[in-house]
Amino acid sequence: VSSPAEIVLDRRGGSVVARLTGEVDMSNASYVRDQLVASMPNDALMLVLDISGCRYLDSAAIEVLFDLSRRLGRRRQELRLVMPPESPLKRVMELTEVHTAAPIYEDLDTALSQ
Amino acid sequence: LGDRASQQGTVAELALRALEGMELDALLDEAAAVVARELGVDRVAILERTGDGAGLLARSGVGLPDGVLGGVLPPDPSQLQRDLGSASRISARIGVERREFGVIEAHGEASGFSDEDQAFIDSVGAVLGAAAQRARHDELVTDSEARFRELADTTPALMWMTDAEGDVTFVNEGWRRFTGGGMGSAFADSAHPDDREELLRRWSEATYRRDEFRCEYRLRHAASRDYRWVLEIGTPRFVDGTFVGYVGTATDIHERRAMEEALRESEASFRELADTAPVMMWTTDVDGMVTFVNEGWLRFTGTTFEEELGPSWELGVHPEDAALTTSTWDAARAERRPWEREYRLRHHSGEYRWIVDRGRPRFVGGRYVGYVGTAIDIHERKTMERRLLEVYAREHEIAETLQRSLLPERLPPVEGLELAARYLPGARGAAIGGDWYDVLERPDGRVALVVGDVAGHGLRAAASMGQLRNAFRAYGLVEHSPADVVARINRLVMSGGEQVMATVLYLVLDRETGEVSYSAAGHPPPLVIAPDGPHFLEGGRSVPIGAADPAVFREATAVLPPGSSLLLYTDGLVERRDVSLGARLDELAEAAGAAGGGLDELCERVIATVIGGGELGDDVALLAVRPLPASGTQVSLTLPAEPGSLAPLRRRLARFLHATGASEMEQYEVTLTICEAAGNAIEHAYGPGDATYEVEIAYDAGELVATVRDAGSWREKRGEHRGRGLSIIEELMDEVAVERDEDGTLVRMRRRLGDRRAA
Repeated sequence: VSSPAEIVLDRRGGSVVARLTGEVDMSNASYVRDQLVASMPNDALMLVLDISGCRYLDSAAIEVLFDLSRRLGRRRQELRLVMPPESPLKRVMELTEVHTAAPIYEDLDTALSQ
Repeated sequence: LGDRASQQGTVAELALRALEGMELDALLDEAAAVVARELGVDRVAILERTGDGAGLLARSGVGLPDGVLGGVLPPDPSQLQRDLGSASRISARIGVERREFGVIEAHGEASGFSDEDQAFIDSVGAVLGAAAQRARHDELVTDSEARFRELADTTPALMWMTDAEGDVTFVNEGWRRFTGGGMGSAFADSAHPDDREELLRRWSEATYRRDEFRCEYRLRHAASRDYRWVLEIGTPRFVDGTFVGYVGTATDIHERRAMEEALRESEASFRELADTAPVMMWTTDVDGMVTFVNEGWLRFTGTTFEEELGPSWELGVHPEDAALTTSTWDAARAERRPWEREYRLRHHSGEYRWIVDRGRPRFVGGRYVGYVGTAIDIHERKTMERRLLEVYAREHEIAETLQRSLLPERLPPVEGLELAARYLPGARGAAIGGDWYDVLERPDGRVALVVGDVAGHGLRAAASMGQLRNAFRAYGLVEHSPADVVARINRLVMSGGEQVMATVLYLVLDRETGEVSYSAAGHPPPLVIAPDGPHFLEGGRSVPIGAADPAVFREATAVLPPGSSLLLYTDGLVERRDVSLGARLDELAEAAGAAGGGLDELCERVIATVIGGGELGDDVALLAVRPLPASGTQVSLTLPAEPGSLAPLRRRLARFLHATGASEMEQYEVTLTICEAAGNAIEHAYGPGDATYEVEIAYDAGELVATVRDAGSWREKRGEHRGRGLSIIEELMDEVAVERDEDGTLVRMRRRLGDRRAA
């Protein structure tokens, strides 16, 4: 039994947009990571991971973000995160210094346009 | 086809009335009325030809102007049409063979009548003609019977005597008065010329053998200068063994003979009438033996008249129908009640065809003489009905299966909520499907309750119900406000192209505080059963879903008093044609208020009291809930040491934290720290078996204390991220203590809530 989470993928030019919703914890973190890695074709330059719809991320989920950044980096692919400033997750993301693994944008358009 | 069947039935009914001996004027009135109804016209006239044939007497009618009824019209049939100013006219002769009674006419505004209309009115004319004929004969029977009694009392006997040679030696005063003549051997001269030969033959035979002489003949009656029937009986006289002649009496039996003749004619005209009617007919005697069947019957069965007489008709009844057909027939006859039965009768083709057979007791001159009946071939209608019934039954079954599969009988348990739900399918026809209930845990810790009713029944309604139920689950998860959920679903339905309409009660409940907000889209109000009595939540009313576009949806809020239950239902529970909704709601409130115990008992009680033993015309969905607030200050849980326990733990924590009034960020952070500790406990649990861990949370005066205890021992950092869990705990909690001993590890955490809300 794993926690409920969904990934919605969307190709935008050279970028892949992945919207992650639901809850990610130790029960489903590695599955989420594998799916995200597999979603990146070789010709894509960037993965924009939108976590605005995530209700819950635990340390295992945060570890996935670091791991994902490393794996994509080795393939010369960039990881960007989208999280609104009013998100309840904001402080935890700051404490765990997720921004050192991937830059965080306030919304999807900003993440794609910069 | 329907019209023709209806017209045929009407003629049969009319014929049956005539055969039962309905008074002629009443029959004519009825005929006028049914012709107007079947042909859809306002004016019908029944005109009787006057005795001299020079005029038409308006004997009966419908919609005729004042003064027409009872008046005599010229025999020109178009006269009445001119008078009425009608656009079209259809008419038929009333009469059988050469005996004409008159004419029946229908006048319409629209142009034209069909051939079928003509055939119909012709049949009515034929039935009325036979009935009029019969009425004349019946009158004769009644009259002659009365006169016979009168005469028998007052007429003195006619007497005579002869000598041994046969010459008349004496006639009494009665004889003389009757015949106006005196004595004489040629008393046969007074007999009707047609009867004379027979009379003389019998007389000579009797005298030759010196036997009793008996003859009915017509004797000249002087006063009326006419012949009257008499019965003459002569008895040989012997004196000391020597034949001396005859002594005789003659009795006036004229009225009796007339009556017998009239009866014969009446029976003949009855049979004529029966053969006229476009249906199968029969009569029986008092023992139920068939005495007559008409041509229609014989055409159907292909048998002969003689074969049908007696009890043999039962042989033609389908074996499966025979027992009930004969037993109901016998029971009806025992009480001389009308009898009606649909059964299969063998057709001359060999096939059994459905007929409807109706019999009524028949009286002649006030005497019960048996039954008269009509039968109509209803095979096509009946087979279609049966096929339809099969289709309905199949659809009902499919709809019920679909409904059941879309609507689970038991809802999944919801933490902090006692739940009971019922679905009762409608009993009549395919009245099933379309009602539903649902319970949904929202991410914000509140619970959404839905009860809905899709308009209509059957497969479509059941399918629409399934769609709407899911739509509510979907929007219920993302939309906060009940009116928004309902509005979104209205938009969904209106844009769907399919015509779906539904009433819905959507309600969001805070289990801890008892706060509810709700929207009633054309739906009856939910019932709150509070400790101090029941009341309805009357607010938040708007139109049903799928009824209007654009539509306005409202919501209302209320607070359930502690210890309250909430009852949601569909209108099948309370709607009844003969009782006002208000009265039904009062009944419901009373029944629910009187129910004690759990919610299952509540549902049962409400069903038993409000619905009772009656058949359900509509299906009914019931949903009863009772919030069980968390103790508010403390939670203690024992959970299996596996990752799958984390989601339910978060659910439980969400409820608890929501009740403390913590901000969303605080709720997330506290949940995260407790789950991180729990995650460590799961990681280090021993073995694959039934390892567990315990979580305790207490909240008091703004301070939250949580402990997570397991039976394992925490290892220090394994890899880089392993420490991230613990560092999160330390960062997010005001105070963290980890105690290890040989029994396991205990993490104690403390945090003030409300202080960092601005962060």
